[in-house]
Amino acid sequence: MNSPSKPSPSREGSSPVPPRAGQKSRQQGRRPGSSAGQGRRARQSTLRRRRNIMAAMAVAAVVIVVAVVVAVGLSSSSSQKAAPRVPLTASQEAHLTGVPLSTLVAASDTSAASHLIPAYQINAPAYTSGGKPQILYIGAEFCPICATERWPMVVALSQFGTFSHLSQSRSAVRDGNLATLSFYGSSYTSQYLTFTAVETLTNVPKGNSYEPLQTPTPDQVRLWTGVLGSESYPFIYAGGKYVLDTYQYPATVIEGRDFAQIAGAVGDNSTTVGASIDASAAALVKYICGITGQQPAATCQAVAAVKATVTNVAQSGPSSSAND
Amino acid sequence: MSGTTETQSKSAEYNRLPRWPAIGGLTLSFLGFGIAAYLTYEHYTASTSLTCPAAGGMVNCLKVTTSGYSEISGVPVAVLGLIFFAVMSVLQSPRAWNSHWPALRVGRVVWSLVGVGTAVWLIYAELFKLDAICEWCTAVHAVSVLLFGLTVFGTAVTAEEPEPEPA
Repeated sequence: MNSPSKPSPSREGSSPVPPRAGQKSRQQGRRPGSSAGQGRRARQSTLRRRRNIMAAMAVAAVVIVVAVVVAVGLSSSSSQKAAPRVPLTASQEAHLTGVPLSTLVAASDTSAASHLIPAYQINAPAYTSGGKPQILYIGAEFCPICATERWPMVVALSQFGTFSHLSQSRSAVRDGNLATLSFYGSSYTSQYLTFTAVETLTNVPKGNSYEPLQTPTPDQVRLWTGVLGSESYPFIYAGGKYVLDTYQYPATVIEGRDFAQIAGAVGDNSTTVGASIDASAAALVKYICGITGQQPAATCQAVAAVKATVTNVAQSGPSSSAND
Repeated sequence: MSGTTETQSKSAEYNRLPRWPAIGGLTLSFLGFGIAAYLTYEHYTASTSLTCPAAGGMVNCLKVTTSGYSEISGVPVAVLGLIFFAVMSVLQSPRAWNSHWPALRVGRVVWSLVGVGTAVWLIYAELFKLDAICEWCTAVHAVSVLLFGLTVFGTAVTAEEPEPEPA
Protein backbone atom coordinates (compact mmCIF):
# COMPACT_ATOMS: atom_id res chain seq x y z
CA MET A 1 0.00 0.00 0.00
CA ASN A 2 1.49 3.25 -1.02
CA SER A 3 1.34 6.01 1.46
CA PRO A 4 1.35 9.67 0.51
CA SER A 5 4.24 10.15 2.90
CA LYS A 6 6.22 7.37 1.29
CA PRO A 7 6.69 8.18 -2.33
CA SER A 8 7.46 5.24 -4.45
CA PRO A 9 9.76 5.81 -7.41
CA SER A 10 8.17 2.87 -9.14
CA ARG A 11 4.82 4.64 -9.29
CA GLU A 12 4.02 7.20 -11.85
CA GLY A 13 4.99 10.62 -10.71
CA SER A 14 7.08 11.46 -7.74
CA SER A 15 4.55 13.39 -5.77
CA PRO A 16 4.39 12.42 -2.11
CA VAL A 17 0.70 13.28 -1.94
CA PRO A 18 -2.17 12.61 -4.25
CA PRO A 19 -2.54 15.33 -6.85
CA ARG A 20 -5.49 17.68 -6.64
CA ALA A 21 -7.97 18.39 -9.32
CA GLY A 22 -6.98 21.19 -11.60
CA GLN A 23 -3.29 20.57 -11.05
CA LYS A 24 -1.07 19.13 -13.68
CA SER A 25 1.10 16.53 -12.09
CA ARG A 26 4.35 15.90 -13.74
CA GLN A 27 3.38 12.51 -15.03
CA GLN A 28 0.59 14.01 -17.04
CA GLY A 29 3.08 15.29 -19.55
CA ARG A 30 4.66 11.89 -19.96
CA ARG A 31 3.67 9.12 -22.21
CA PRO A 32 1.51 6.57 -20.48
CA GLY A 33 3.50 3.88 -18.88
CA SER A 34 0.73 1.37 -18.29
CA SER A 35 -2.94 0.73 -18.90
CA ALA A 36 -3.56 1.02 -15.15
CA GLY A 37 -2.04 4.48 -15.20
CA GLN A 38 -4.15 5.43 -18.16
CA GLY A 39 -7.28 4.24 -16.40
CA ARG A 40 -6.42 6.17 -13.26
CA ARG A 41 -5.78 9.33 -15.20
CA ALA A 42 -9.02 8.88 -17.07
CA ARG A 43 -10.94 8.46 -13.83
CA GLN A 44 -9.26 11.49 -12.30
CA SER A 45 -9.98 13.51 -15.38
CA THR A 46 -13.63 12.45 -15.32
CA LEU A 47 -13.91 13.30 -11.64
CA ARG A 48 -12.28 16.66 -12.21
CA ARG A 49 -14.59 17.41 -15.10
CA ARG A 50 -17.61 16.38 -13.03
CA ARG A 51 -16.57 18.69 -10.19
CA ASN A 52 -16.08 21.60 -12.55
CA ILE A 53 -19.45 20.98 -14.17
CA MET A 54 -21.13 20.91 -10.76
CA ALA A 55 -19.40 24.13 -9.78
CA ALA A 56 -20.42 25.75 -13.04
CA MET A 57 -24.02 24.61 -12.55
CA ALA A 58 -24.11 26.03 -9.02
CA VAL A 59 -22.76 29.37 -10.19
CA ALA A 60 -25.08 29.40 -13.20
CA ALA A 61 -28.07 28.72 -10.94
CA VAL A 62 -27.18 31.67 -8.73
CA VAL A 63 -26.56 33.95 -11.71
CA ILE A 64 -29.90 32.95 -13.24
CA VAL A 65 -31.76 33.63 -9.97
CA VAL A 66 -30.12 37.05 -9.65
CA ALA A 67 -30.80 37.86 -13.31
CA VAL A 68 -34.48 36.87 -13.02
CA VAL A 69 -34.98 38.91 -9.84
CA VAL A 70 -33.31 41.95 -11.41
CA ALA A 71 -35.13 41.64 -14.74
CA VAL A 72 -38.58 41.16 -13.18
CA GLY A 73 -37.93 43.86 -10.60
CA LEU A 74 -36.84 46.43 -13.15
CA SER A 75 -39.65 45.67 -15.58
CA SER A 76 -42.37 45.78 -12.91
CA SER A 77 -40.96 49.01 -11.56
CA SER A 78 -40.97 50.77 -14.92
CA SER A 79 -44.50 49.58 -15.71
CA GLN A 80 -46.11 51.17 -12.68
CA LYS A 81 -48.52 53.92 -13.72
CA ALA A 82 -48.49 57.27 -12.04
CA ALA A 83 -51.71 58.71 -10.72
CA PRO A 84 -52.98 61.60 -12.84
CA ARG A 85 -53.57 65.07 -11.37
CA VAL A 86 -57.27 65.66 -10.64
CA PRO A 87 -58.75 69.06 -9.73
CA LEU A 88 -60.29 69.24 -6.27
CA THR A 89 -64.03 69.46 -6.11
CA ALA A 90 -65.45 72.65 -4.64
CA SER A 91 -66.42 70.86 -1.46
CA GLN A 92 -62.97 69.27 -1.06
CA GLU A 93 -61.29 72.63 -1.57
CA ALA A 94 -63.69 74.33 0.85
CA HIS A 95 -63.06 71.67 3.48
CA LEU A 96 -59.28 71.74 3.25
CA THR A 97 -58.98 75.51 3.12
CA GLY A 98 -61.56 76.17 5.77
CA VAL A 99 -60.30 74.33 8.83
CA PRO A 100 -61.09 76.56 11.84
CA LEU A 101 -58.03 78.07 13.47
CA SER A 102 -59.27 76.89 16.85
CA THR A 103 -59.04 73.31 15.58
CA LEU A 104 -55.42 73.84 14.61
CA VAL A 105 -54.63 75.37 17.98
CA ALA A 106 -56.32 72.46 19.71
CA ALA A 107 -54.24 70.03 17.67
CA SER A 108 -51.09 71.61 19.01
CA ASP A 109 -52.02 70.18 22.41
CA THR A 110 -52.29 66.63 21.12
CA SER A 111 -49.52 64.05 21.27
CA ALA A 112 -49.08 64.42 17.51
CA ALA A 113 -47.66 67.90 18.09
CA SER A 114 -44.91 66.70 20.39
CA HIS A 115 -42.98 64.95 17.62
CA LEU A 116 -43.09 67.59 14.90
CA ILE A 117 -39.86 68.32 13.09
CA PRO A 118 -39.04 72.00 13.63
CA ALA A 119 -38.15 74.52 10.93
CA TYR A 120 -34.72 76.06 10.73
CA GLN A 121 -34.55 79.67 11.78
CA ILE A 122 -32.10 81.68 9.76
CA ASN A 123 -30.98 85.26 9.75
CA ALA A 124 -31.16 86.23 6.09
CA PRO A 125 -32.31 89.41 4.38
CA ALA A 126 -36.08 89.69 4.14
CA TYR A 127 -37.37 87.70 1.21
CA THR A 128 -40.21 89.65 -0.32
CA SER A 129 -42.30 90.03 -3.43
CA GLY A 130 -44.54 92.98 -4.25
CA GLY A 131 -43.74 94.50 -0.90
CA LYS A 132 -45.01 91.44 0.96
CA PRO A 133 -43.07 88.69 2.66
CA GLN A 134 -42.71 85.76 0.32
CA ILE A 135 -42.82 82.03 0.88
CA LEU A 136 -41.12 80.00 -1.81
CA TYR A 137 -41.90 76.33 -2.16
CA ILE A 138 -39.84 74.18 -4.51
CA GLY A 139 -40.95 70.58 -4.67
CA ALA A 140 -41.88 67.80 -7.02
CA GLU A 141 -44.96 65.70 -7.48
CA PHE A 142 -43.03 62.42 -7.25
CA CYS A 143 -41.56 63.38 -3.88
CA PRO A 144 -43.18 61.59 -0.91
CA ILE A 145 -41.87 64.11 1.59
CA CYS A 146 -43.38 66.96 -0.39
CA ALA A 147 -46.58 64.93 -0.59
CA THR A 148 -46.67 64.69 3.18
CA GLU A 149 -45.94 68.37 3.77
CA ARG A 150 -48.39 69.85 1.25
CA TRP A 151 -51.35 68.90 3.44
CA PRO A 152 -50.48 71.17 6.40
CA MET A 153 -49.15 73.82 4.00
CA VAL A 154 -52.54 74.17 2.33
CA VAL A 155 -54.33 74.23 5.67
CA ALA A 156 -51.94 76.78 7.18
CA LEU A 157 -51.65 79.11 4.18
CA SER A 158 -55.44 79.17 3.96
CA GLN A 159 -55.43 81.07 7.26
CA PHE A 160 -53.69 83.95 5.48
CA GLY A 161 -55.23 83.88 2.02
CA THR A 162 -57.17 81.94 -0.57
CA PHE A 163 -56.17 78.98 -2.72
CA SER A 164 -57.90 78.08 -5.93
CA HIS A 165 -57.47 75.35 -8.53
CA LEU A 166 -55.69 72.97 -6.21
CA SER A 167 -55.42 69.40 -7.50
CA GLN A 168 -55.18 66.03 -5.87
CA SER A 169 -52.21 63.95 -6.83
CA ARG A 170 -49.98 61.19 -5.53
CA SER A 171 -46.29 60.82 -5.04
CA ALA A 172 -44.68 58.44 -7.53
CA VAL A 173 -45.68 54.81 -7.28
CA ARG A 174 -42.08 53.88 -6.59
CA ASP A 175 -41.88 56.66 -3.99
CA GLY A 176 -44.61 55.73 -1.59
CA ASN A 177 -47.61 56.47 -3.82
CA LEU A 178 -48.86 58.87 -1.13
CA ALA A 179 -52.13 60.69 -1.70
CA THR A 180 -51.57 64.43 -1.67
CA LEU A 181 -52.31 67.77 -3.29
CA SER A 182 -50.42 69.46 -6.08
CA PHE A 183 -49.70 73.15 -6.26
CA TYR A 184 -49.26 72.92 -10.02
CA GLY A 185 -51.88 75.06 -11.74
CA SER A 186 -53.11 76.52 -8.46
CA SER A 187 -53.15 80.15 -7.44
CA TYR A 188 -52.93 81.82 -4.07
CA THR A 189 -53.86 85.35 -3.10
CA SER A 190 -53.26 87.03 0.23
CA GLN A 191 -52.97 90.56 1.48
CA TYR A 192 -50.31 89.47 3.95
CA LEU A 193 -47.85 87.40 1.93
CA THR A 194 -46.91 85.99 -1.45
CA PHE A 195 -46.76 82.27 -1.95
CA THR A 196 -44.78 80.96 -4.89
CA ALA A 197 -44.88 77.25 -5.65
CA VAL A 198 -42.71 75.43 -8.15
CA GLU A 199 -43.40 71.76 -8.82
CA THR A 200 -40.33 70.86 -10.82
CA LEU A 201 -41.14 67.27 -11.76
CA THR A 202 -44.27 65.19 -12.23
CA ASN A 203 -44.81 61.73 -10.76
CA VAL A 204 -44.41 60.13 -14.19
CA PRO A 205 -41.15 58.17 -14.43
CA LYS A 206 -38.80 59.12 -17.23
CA GLY A 207 -35.58 57.18 -17.33
CA ASN A 208 -33.97 57.44 -13.93
CA SER A 209 -35.99 60.53 -13.07
CA TYR A 210 -39.44 62.00 -13.79
CA GLU A 211 -41.10 64.07 -16.48
CA PRO A 212 -40.26 67.75 -15.95
CA LEU A 213 -43.07 70.12 -14.99
CA GLN A 214 -41.94 73.58 -13.93
CA THR A 215 -38.57 75.26 -13.94
CA PRO A 216 -37.49 77.50 -11.08
CA THR A 217 -35.94 80.83 -12.00
CA PRO A 218 -32.16 81.23 -11.71
CA ASP A 219 -32.68 83.35 -8.58
CA GLN A 220 -34.83 80.64 -7.04
CA VAL A 221 -32.25 77.99 -7.88
CA ARG A 222 -29.52 80.16 -6.35
CA LEU A 223 -31.57 80.54 -3.20
CA TRP A 224 -32.43 76.84 -3.11
CA THR A 225 -28.91 75.55 -3.53
CA GLY A 226 -27.45 78.36 -1.44
CA VAL A 227 -29.56 77.47 1.57
CA LEU A 228 -29.73 73.68 1.29
CA GLY A 229 -26.34 73.13 -0.30
CA SER A 230 -27.92 70.95 -2.97
CA GLU A 231 -31.09 70.61 -4.96
CA SER A 232 -33.33 68.48 -2.79
CA TYR A 233 -37.04 68.55 -2.03
CA PRO A 234 -38.91 70.10 -0.45
CA PHE A 235 -37.50 73.57 -0.10
CA ILE A 236 -39.80 75.86 1.82
CA TYR A 237 -38.26 79.25 2.35
CA ALA A 238 -40.30 81.68 4.42
CA GLY A 239 -39.38 85.35 4.20
CA GLY A 240 -35.67 84.85 4.84
CA LYS A 241 -36.49 83.73 8.37
CA TYR A 242 -37.54 80.08 8.30
CA VAL A 243 -36.57 77.09 6.21
CA LEU A 244 -38.22 73.68 6.07
CA ASP A 245 -36.47 71.00 4.05
CA THR A 246 -38.52 68.01 5.13
CA TYR A 247 -41.92 67.06 6.43
CA GLN A 248 -43.07 68.04 9.90
CA TYR A 249 -44.84 64.76 10.67
CA PRO A 250 -43.87 61.29 9.40
CA ALA A 251 -45.02 60.19 5.97
CA THR A 252 -46.09 56.89 7.52
CA VAL A 253 -49.08 58.71 9.02
CA ILE A 254 -50.72 59.05 5.59
CA GLU A 255 -49.19 55.97 3.99
CA GLY A 256 -51.73 53.54 2.56
CA ARG A 257 -54.66 55.98 2.81
CA ASP A 258 -56.47 57.39 -0.17
CA PHE A 259 -57.12 61.06 -0.80
CA ALA A 260 -60.66 61.03 0.57
CA GLN A 261 -59.56 59.37 3.81
CA ILE A 262 -56.82 61.91 4.45
CA ALA A 263 -58.86 64.90 3.37
CA GLY A 264 -61.74 63.70 5.52
CA ALA A 265 -59.47 63.43 8.56
CA VAL A 266 -58.15 66.98 8.20
CA GLY A 267 -59.77 69.06 10.92
CA ASP A 268 -60.53 65.98 13.00
CA ASN A 269 -58.05 65.88 15.84
CA SER A 270 -59.39 62.61 17.14
CA THR A 271 -57.58 60.85 14.30
CA THR A 272 -53.82 60.50 14.02
CA VAL A 273 -53.93 61.78 10.45
CA GLY A 274 -56.04 64.81 11.34
CA ALA A 275 -54.12 65.67 14.50
CA SER A 276 -50.77 65.35 12.71
CA ILE A 277 -51.78 67.57 9.81
CA ASP A 278 -53.58 70.10 12.01
CA ALA A 279 -50.75 70.32 14.54
CA SER A 280 -48.25 70.78 11.72
CA ALA A 281 -50.45 73.47 10.22
CA ALA A 282 -50.68 75.25 13.58
CA ALA A 283 -46.88 75.37 13.80
CA LEU A 284 -46.72 76.65 10.22
CA VAL A 285 -49.22 79.39 11.01
CA LYS A 286 -47.01 80.51 13.87
CA TYR A 287 -43.93 80.51 11.63
CA ILE A 288 -45.79 82.52 9.00
CA CYS A 289 -46.89 85.03 11.61
CA GLY A 290 -43.18 85.50 12.24
CA ILE A 291 -42.70 86.84 8.72
CA THR A 292 -45.93 88.82 8.34
CA GLY A 293 -45.25 90.99 11.37
CA GLN A 294 -47.90 89.08 13.36
CA GLN A 295 -50.57 89.88 10.79
CA PRO A 296 -53.46 89.23 10.72
CA ALA A 297 -53.43 90.06 14.39
CA ALA A 298 -56.37 87.86 15.34
CA THR A 299 -54.81 84.82 13.72
CA CYS A 300 -51.39 85.38 15.16
CA GLN A 301 -52.70 86.07 18.63
CA ALA A 302 -54.66 82.83 18.47
CA VAL A 303 -51.51 80.82 17.79
CA ALA A 304 -49.36 82.73 20.25
CA ALA A 305 -49.49 79.83 22.67
CA VAL A 306 -48.76 77.22 20.01
CA LYS A 307 -45.43 75.56 20.48
CA ALA A 308 -43.54 75.94 17.21
CA THR A 309 -39.96 75.06 17.93
CA VAL A 310 -37.16 76.09 15.64
CA THR A 311 -33.63 74.92 15.03
CA ASN A 312 -31.29 77.87 14.97
CA VAL A 313 -28.56 77.82 12.38
CA ALA A 314 -25.61 80.13 12.10
CA GLN A 315 -26.09 80.39 8.38
CA SER A 316 -26.61 83.88 7.05
CA GLY A 317 -28.93 82.67 4.34
CA PRO A 318 -29.19 83.76 0.76
CA SER A 319 -28.03 87.03 -0.65
CA SER A 320 -30.46 89.87 -1.06
CA SER A 321 -30.32 89.41 -4.82
CA ALA A 322 -32.69 86.54 -4.33
CA ASN A 323 -35.43 88.98 -3.46
CA ASP A 324 -37.62 90.06 -6.27
CA MET B 1 12.49 11.50 10.45
CA SER B 2 8.97 10.67 9.42
CA GLY B 3 7.87 14.04 10.81
CA THR B 4 10.34 15.79 8.55
CA THR B 5 9.10 13.81 5.58
CA GLU B 6 5.53 14.68 6.41
CA THR B 7 6.37 18.35 6.69
CA GLN B 8 8.17 18.22 3.40
CA SER B 9 5.28 16.44 1.75
CA LYS B 10 2.82 19.02 3.06
CA SER B 11 5.07 21.80 1.91
CA ALA B 12 5.31 20.22 -1.50
CA GLU B 13 1.55 19.91 -1.63
CA TYR B 14 1.01 23.53 -0.64
CA ASN B 15 3.41 24.63 -3.31
CA ARG B 16 1.40 22.77 -5.92
CA LEU B 17 -2.00 24.11 -4.87
CA PRO B 18 -3.45 26.74 -7.18
CA ARG B 19 -3.12 30.12 -5.55
CA TRP B 20 -5.86 31.97 -7.38
CA PRO B 21 -8.69 30.95 -4.98
CA ALA B 22 -6.89 32.45 -2.02
CA ILE B 23 -5.66 35.52 -3.87
CA GLY B 24 -9.01 36.19 -5.52
CA GLY B 25 -11.01 35.31 -2.42
CA LEU B 26 -8.99 37.53 -0.15
CA THR B 27 -9.09 40.41 -2.61
CA LEU B 28 -12.88 40.18 -2.93
CA SER B 29 -13.32 39.74 0.82
CA PHE B 30 -11.25 42.83 1.56
CA LEU B 31 -13.11 44.75 -1.12
CA GLY B 32 -16.46 43.70 0.34
CA PHE B 33 -15.26 44.52 3.84
CA GLY B 34 -14.22 47.99 2.71
CA ILE B 35 -17.57 48.76 1.09
CA ALA B 36 -19.46 47.33 4.07
CA ALA B 37 -17.34 49.50 6.36
CA TYR B 38 -18.28 52.56 4.32
CA LEU B 39 -21.97 51.62 4.43
CA THR B 40 -21.73 51.07 8.18
CA TYR B 41 -20.15 54.49 8.59
CA GLU B 42 -22.91 55.99 6.44
CA HIS B 43 -25.57 54.15 8.41
CA TYR B 44 -24.46 55.68 11.67
CA THR B 45 -23.45 59.12 10.48
CA ALA B 46 -25.75 59.90 7.52
CA SER B 47 -27.73 63.07 7.79
CA THR B 48 -31.04 62.60 9.50
CA SER B 49 -32.50 65.29 7.28
CA LEU B 50 -35.12 63.55 5.21
CA THR B 51 -35.34 65.03 1.78
CA CYS B 52 -36.08 63.80 -1.71
CA PRO B 53 -33.19 63.88 -4.17
CA ALA B 54 -33.57 66.40 -6.98
CA ALA B 55 -33.81 63.88 -9.79
CA GLY B 56 -35.72 61.25 -7.86
CA GLY B 57 -35.45 57.92 -9.63
CA MET B 58 -34.27 54.44 -8.87
CA VAL B 59 -30.75 55.18 -7.75
CA ASN B 60 -31.28 56.41 -4.22
CA CYS B 61 -28.85 55.09 -1.64
CA LEU B 62 -30.33 57.14 1.20
CA LYS B 63 -33.76 55.65 0.62
CA VAL B 64 -32.31 52.14 0.74
CA THR B 65 -29.95 52.59 3.67
CA THR B 66 -32.60 54.28 5.81
CA SER B 67 -35.42 51.89 4.91
CA GLY B 68 -36.88 49.20 7.11
CA TYR B 69 -34.91 46.70 5.07
CA SER B 70 -31.61 48.22 6.17
CA GLU B 71 -31.87 46.31 9.44
CA ILE B 72 -32.49 42.70 10.35
CA SER B 73 -33.78 42.24 13.90
CA GLY B 74 -32.44 45.66 14.75
CA VAL B 75 -28.96 44.95 13.46
CA PRO B 76 -27.94 47.12 10.49
CA VAL B 77 -27.42 45.07 7.33
CA ALA B 78 -24.18 46.98 6.80
CA VAL B 79 -22.85 45.63 10.12
CA LEU B 80 -23.90 42.12 9.14
CA GLY B 81 -21.98 42.68 5.91
CA LEU B 82 -18.89 43.64 7.90
CA ILE B 83 -19.16 40.45 9.93
CA PHE B 84 -19.75 38.38 6.80
CA PHE B 85 -16.67 39.70 5.01
CA ALA B 86 -14.51 39.52 8.13
CA VAL B 87 -15.31 35.81 8.50
CA MET B 88 -14.96 35.32 4.77
CA SER B 89 -11.49 36.87 4.84
CA VAL B 90 -10.42 34.17 7.29
CA LEU B 91 -12.05 31.44 5.21
CA GLN B 92 -10.36 32.71 2.06
CA SER B 93 -6.88 32.88 3.55
CA PRO B 94 -4.15 30.70 1.96
CA ARG B 95 -3.97 28.68 5.18
CA ALA B 96 -7.69 27.94 5.00
CA TRP B 97 -7.51 27.01 1.33
CA ASN B 98 -4.61 24.67 2.06
CA SER B 99 -6.55 22.89 4.76
CA HIS B 100 -8.00 19.44 4.08
CA TRP B 101 -10.50 19.77 6.90
CA PRO B 102 -13.86 18.96 5.27
CA ALA B 103 -15.85 21.10 7.71
CA LEU B 104 -13.80 24.11 6.70
CA ARG B 105 -14.20 23.47 3.00
CA VAL B 106 -17.94 22.87 3.29
CA GLY B 107 -18.30 25.78 5.70
CA ARG B 108 -16.65 28.14 3.23
CA VAL B 109 -19.10 27.14 0.49
CA VAL B 110 -22.06 27.43 2.87
CA TRP B 111 -20.86 30.82 4.11
CA SER B 112 -20.52 32.10 0.55
CA LEU B 113 -24.03 30.76 -0.12
CA VAL B 114 -25.30 32.71 2.89
CA GLY B 115 -23.73 35.81 1.35
CA VAL B 116 -25.24 35.31 -2.07
CA GLY B 117 -28.63 34.39 -0.54
CA THR B 118 -28.65 37.60 1.47
CA ALA B 119 -27.67 39.52 -1.65
CA VAL B 120 -30.60 38.05 -3.59
CA TRP B 121 -32.97 38.92 -0.74
CA LEU B 122 -31.70 42.50 -0.58
CA ILE B 123 -31.88 42.90 -4.37
CA TYR B 124 -35.47 41.70 -4.15
CA ALA B 125 -36.19 44.21 -1.38
CA GLU B 126 -34.63 47.05 -3.36
CA LEU B 127 -36.49 46.31 -6.59
CA PHE B 128 -39.83 45.03 -5.33
CA LYS B 129 -40.31 46.74 -1.99
CA LEU B 130 -38.36 49.97 -2.13
CA ASP B 131 -38.14 50.70 -5.85
CA ALA B 132 -34.72 52.10 -5.28
CA ILE B 133 -31.20 50.90 -5.81
CA CYS B 134 -28.19 51.77 -3.75
CA GLU B 135 -25.08 51.66 -5.88
CA TRP B 136 -22.85 50.78 -2.92
CA CYS B 137 -25.15 47.94 -1.92
CA THR B 138 -25.10 46.73 -5.51
CA ALA B 139 -21.31 46.62 -5.38
CA VAL B 140 -21.49 44.46 -2.25
CA HIS B 141 -24.01 42.16 -3.92
CA ALA B 142 -21.73 41.78 -6.94
CA VAL B 143 -18.80 40.96 -4.67
CA SER B 144 -20.90 38.36 -2.86
CA VAL B 145 -21.88 36.66 -6.13
CA LEU B 146 -18.27 36.70 -7.35
CA LEU B 147 -17.11 35.28 -4.02
CA PHE B 148 -19.62 32.47 -4.32
CA GLY B 149 -18.43 31.60 -7.82
CA LEU B 150 -14.80 31.77 -6.80
CA THR B 151 -15.40 29.66 -3.70
CA VAL B 152 -17.30 26.98 -5.58
CA PHE B 153 -14.73 26.73 -8.37
CA GLY B 154 -11.87 27.02 -5.91
CA THR B 155 -13.32 24.16 -3.89
CA ALA B 156 -13.65 22.06 -7.04
CA VAL B 157 -10.09 22.57 -8.22
CA THR B 158 -8.51 22.09 -4.81
CA ALA B 159 -10.41 18.93 -4.00
CA GLU B 160 -8.30 15.93 -3.11
CA GLU B 161 -8.05 13.27 -5.75
CA PRO B 162 -8.96 9.77 -4.60
CA GLU B 163 -6.16 7.55 -3.47
CA PRO B 164 -4.73 5.55 -6.33
CA GLU B 165 -5.80 1.97 -6.37
CA PRO B 166 -3.12 -0.48 -5.41
CA ALA B 167 -1.45 -2.08 -8.39
